[in-house]
Amino acid sequence: MADTGLNVLVLYGNAWQCDYLRYATDFAILEGQGLALARADGRVTLYLDSGLDADRAGLECAGVEVVHAPNLVAVVDAALDPLRNQRIGAAPYRLLPRRIAARAQDLKLTDDTMFLDRLLMAKLASEIDAVRRAARLADAGYAVFRAAARPGRPDYELIAEVEAFYRANHVDDNFQIIGVGGPEVRGMAPPSGKRLKRGDLVTTELTPCVDGYYCQICRTLVVGPADPEQLAAFAVFREALEAGVAAVREGITAADIARAQNDVFRRHGLGAYVTSEYTRVRGHGMGLFADSRPHLLEEVTTPIEQGMTLIVHPNTYHPLVGYLVLGDALVVTGDGCEVLTATPRDLISVPV
Amino acid sequence: MRRGLMQWDEDELPTAALDARTRRLQDAMHRGDLQALLAYTNLVRPSAVSYLTGFTPYWSEGVLLLGCDGPPVFVTALSKRVAGWIRSVSPVGEIVNAPRPGHVIGARLAADPSVRRVGVVELDALPAGLFDDLAAAAPNLEWVDATPVFAHARRGADAVERRLTAQADAIAVAALDQVDAAAVAEVGALIGTVEAHARLNRAEEAYILVAPDLLSDRRMIRASRPLSLGSRFAVCASIAYKGHWVRRTRTFAKEAAAARDLAAADRWLEHLVGSVNGDAPLARQIAAFLDGLAGADLRGWTAESCVGSYPLQVVATSAAADGWHQRSGDLLVLTIDLAIAGAPWLGAAPAHVGGGA
Repeated sequence: MADTGLNVLVLYGNAWQCDYLRYATDFAILEGQGLALARADGRVTLYLDSGLDADRAGLECAGVEVVHAPNLVAVVDAALDPLRNQRIGAAPYRLLPRRIAARAQDLKLTDDTMFLDRLLMAKLASEIDAVRRAARLADAGYAVFRAAARPGRPDYELIAEVEAFYRANHVDDNFQIIGVGGPEVRGMAPPSGKRLKRGDLVTTELTPCVDGYYCQICRTLVVGPADPEQLAAFAVFREALEAGVAAVREGITAADIARAQNDVFRRHGLGAYVTSEYTRVRGHGMGLFADSRPHLLEEVTTPIEQGMTLIVHPNTYHPLVGYLVLGDALVVTGDGCEVLTATPRDLISVPV
Repeated sequence: MRRGLMQWDEDELPTAALDARTRRLQDAMHRGDLQALLAYTNLVRPSAVSYLTGFTPYWSEGVLLLGCDGPPVFVTALSKRVAGWIRSVSPVGEIVNAPRPGHVIGARLAADPSVRRVGVVELDALPAGLFDDLAAAAPNLEWVDATPVFAHARRGADAVERRLTAQADAIAVAALDQVDAAAVAEVGALIGTVEAHARLNRAEEAYILVAPDLLSDRRMIRASRPLSLGSRFAVCASIAYKGHWVRRTRTFAKEAAAARDLAAADRWLEHLVGSVNGDAPLARQIAAFLDGLAGADLRGWTAESCVGSYPLQVVATSAAADGWHQRSGDLLVLTIDLAIAGAPWLGAAPAHVGGGA
């Protein structure tokens, strides 16, 4: 803040997107919304509209002034009044409540989302350590998922077992979606009640959070023995993941990692399936948000820097077998990267 | 995040019920001289859109556009690939996938010459980026806060809402029944047990909090680190089923004698929530009920209800009981904080307000 001349940062957060607010407060919102005022002298005030969350913040956030503000927007609006002669930045600006953003001129409020994005992308050693610990729990969680998968079980039961494992191991959050079936499956979503049956591909990405830091793993299993088409399709994804991971090093761009993966699909005549019609991204950053910047896409030119934590995942639809996922988390090092997740990159077969 | 079962079942949530809600809101819009109404949704603030469509996003955000007549249009930043999933989990009308929903909705509104005033549920809290896009695409429209219009129109739970809320409550009760106070020693193990049961019973979401040692602190925490349970602890289970949320809090004691006292308090709470009516102020009804529980002193209470985009929103407390009055048909969650023979007790349960105004 001193470098940018900012006196105060207004940071917004909710249970969906809490990374900007958590960076300054180390608080994860569970219900409702919050706004934090982080001052250049280090003082931070956290306003929360949920009484339960405000109670919890009082216990968890030493050194942060916590205010329970049922009428959050009005209270923070009023709190900004005395700061009118200061330089105030906001992040993420697009999610800031309209009433506060409407006073941008009056308050000399500027969009400083990119400033925060840079801080969020390049991790400190302690942040990388948290992601590393989350990676171990991602592997452990996948082992629970794999053990829970058997014919006849509805998909939500697999998620229930993973979530129970995580809560018992003090992981207070996890982002997870799932896909079950064959060529009719075009992606992953929350569980829908579909029951596993022999021959189904079961895809999941699971993303446990440790001390605020998320780490993701993507794997696909097959119920019963894999058929030749499934094995051949999976081989393309493994080749793409290996190409993407091999490309990672300081000084390249996000686009380079995406291109390395997509080129594999193009070589196999599957170039159409790496477009937005079939897939979203070829990986992304991880940290205080499960899906943070940079997004690994061929049009994203964000430079890759040492200390970034990423997941590389060539997840997409395959016309013969359906949606497939495979992805590993890594940290960018001085001479390449260190892969953090350790689950074998196999098309895992569960017994029937 | 929503990680539990998300599924639409016509028998549970008939489209006729959603159509009736939509017409009720459209009548209110007409009376308020609003030619269109917007409701924002994300997973934190899903309930206004869920009330009209049954839809809750597990990720990202969207806006529901409701005109003076006809079905709503849902515009979401979720990608086009997710449209099929949205259709599978809700009978929402038209779905438009657009990275910037504000642009699309603003352009539609600007192109309709009959639209002058647009109501927005919780206008002040609308994300700035979304509002900027709306205003840029439709610079000549008047934007009006429609929070009271929406809250008034959705007041009084219909049969569908009562049924689905009762199902959420049944999941919460069964999950809390898994707690073996004498046997469980650690917060993570406790939360894992309760949450697993709720999710295996088809909860859409389960947030489990614990006050691990009520004798020293009544505040609730998550399972972020290993922590032993004290002799008296409380568990709060906030459970969603098909977009309908309840909160149940129960106090547990490791010693059998204390557990018997707590069981009496639990029965008292059930009696209270089964008797809440619209005839008298809530504060007076709670105070009158206290006579039925020996040795109990009221430390405070909170009433929550779903009145806007939040699943549960505080509508009255013991510190601020004026300005809101329960009416017959309202669904509430009552949280009661007592001292019983000097020892702390927390309880929360849903109430369907009967009788009265």
